[in-house]
Amino acid sequence: MEKENEIVKKLKNFLKENLVRTTVPKERRIFVYIKKDALKDAVKYLVKDLEFKHLSTITGVDLGGKIEVIYHMAYKGSIVLSIRLTVSEKNPSVPTITDLIPGAVLYEREVHDLFGVNFEGHPDLSPLVLPEGWPQGVYPLRKEHKLEHLREMTSKK
Amino acid sequence: MSYGSTIKVPLGPQHPALKEPGNFLFEVDGETVVDVKPRIGYNHRGVEKAFELRTYIQNIYLAERICGICSDAHTTCYTQAIEELLGVEAPPRARYIRVIIAELERIQSHALWVGIAAHEIGFDTLFMYVWRDRETVLDLFEMISGNRIHYAMNTIGGVRRDIHAAMVPKIKKGLDFLEKRLKYYLDVVQTEQTILKRAAGVGVLKPKDAVDLCALGPTLRASGINNDVRADDPYAAYDEVPFNVITHDGCDVSSRMLVRCEEMLESIKAIGYALDHMPEGVIRVRVPMKVPKGEVVSRVEAPRGELIHYAKSNGTTKPERYKVRSPTLGNIPALCKMLLGGYVADIPIVLAGIDPCFSCMDRMAFVDVKKNKGWNWTMQQLRRKYAKK
Repeated sequence: MEKENEIVKKLKNFLKENLVRTTVPKERRIFVYIKKDALKDAVKYLVKDLEFKHLSTITGVDLGGKIEVIYHMAYKGSIVLSIRLTVSEKNPSVPTITDLIPGAVLYEREVHDLFGVNFEGHPDLSPLVLPEGWPQGVYPLRKEHKLEHLREMTSKK
Repeated sequence: MSYGSTIKVPLGPQHPALKEPGNFLFEVDGETVVDVKPRIGYNHRGVEKAFELRTYIQNIYLAERICGICSDAHTTCYTQAIEELLGVEAPPRARYIRVIIAELERIQSHALWVGIAAHEIGFDTLFMYVWRDRETVLDLFEMISGNRIHYAMNTIGGVRRDIHAAMVPKIKKGLDFLEKRLKYYLDVVQTEQTILKRAAGVGVLKPKDAVDLCALGPTLRASGINNDVRADDPYAAYDEVPFNVITHDGCDVSSRMLVRCEEMLESIKAIGYALDHMPEGVIRVRVPMKVPKGEVVSRVEAPRGELIHYAKSNGTTKPERYKVRSPTLGNIPALCKMLLGGYVADIPIVLAGIDPCFSCMDRMAFVDVKKNKGWNWTMQQLRRKYAKK
């Protein structure tokens, strides 16, 4: 776990008060909770200085009233560092990281489709996975949408 | 040559070059592709929402059905995630069986791909030969698990079926046959002009672009980058089973063929080793229905590349959130890059080059299953109807 702890220490030094907390549950897994405003700086630091060049995916989680966005980044293919932040459900918006990691382009669109998180500065947030004619403002993976509700909505012609 | 103006050509969702539905809007200048916009989602079944509505046991069967080709990769990823949440470990014998099944699956998936790639460049003889030989693996699967496609071998806490001593010589015989054939195919993809003329220098993905666009699996390894979850982040028994990570630096479709063919030979070696060194003992441990609160990131090297699952539990029998990211979605940005500047005639083979699996990729949104008739059966209704028969 030496390598993991060293990475956590470097991140702490870099982010200072913007880092909320970190956990290292097991070998090759790190979770880092940060404040929203520090996202760009944190990702830039991870990509440029710590060699976390690979973005595995972006996960959205509905926490009830808040939405958590988790960026799973990998260090030379081995250590997975999940950097996470929360945004309010009413106005969920996060700066895009596509300028730092071009491979994030579809993952951001996917989270935008399913959770309604607005990635500021993303080149094209048009629907990626939802069918044509899907009602605006309905984000199916949010907990407020029950299965029956969604079925009813999609069966209306 | 440039014509000075462009036209837009849609490809898909239904198109002979695509084996599954996906849509790509190409902008072409004469014969050259200048822009491409992907649109996916035609296979969306709402799997992630469905995970939240089912118990952990039911979800094994759901994970199995995310994909028809790499079904074992998904259940391996799922079961090891839930095992970690529960704090249990699969017994050593089960971990070896998982390796054997995963590598057999890699062989059948890569063989399927070599056949499709040959078909896309009009070399149907090779397609027929490879698919005939692929049957060997499917027959082995049928012998081991009773099924050719959805083997349903994994369960939370281990595997469901043992590989008995009587099966071992049969598996080895099948693998010996495959090894001979695969060596021949490896020679074919390197020397046969029909393939070289269509694949060499086509669909180029430079190493820097591959890293920037987060490419995965054989696509990334064919751009000369050594990256394999089995080696970097070992799971099951991959820390004990020796194998080589194959890379080639041609960065084109030809390299992707070579990587996959050589990987199949590595898989055969790994299976041979695992069969010889399988520890004795039980194949599964009992686990409780309720999973304690927690979260976990689980990774597996599926045939098409890194597969990542994220699970969050809330202390009940159902997950709070389950996220699946299949390798195909990760390779789409890289695919768009490969297509740019290429010829329209090369689109099918470049598309096939990443081994796209749309049903894996499209698993999240909602599709109306009712068609125009308004009825829907619940699991309970189905049980009532068919349980008596």
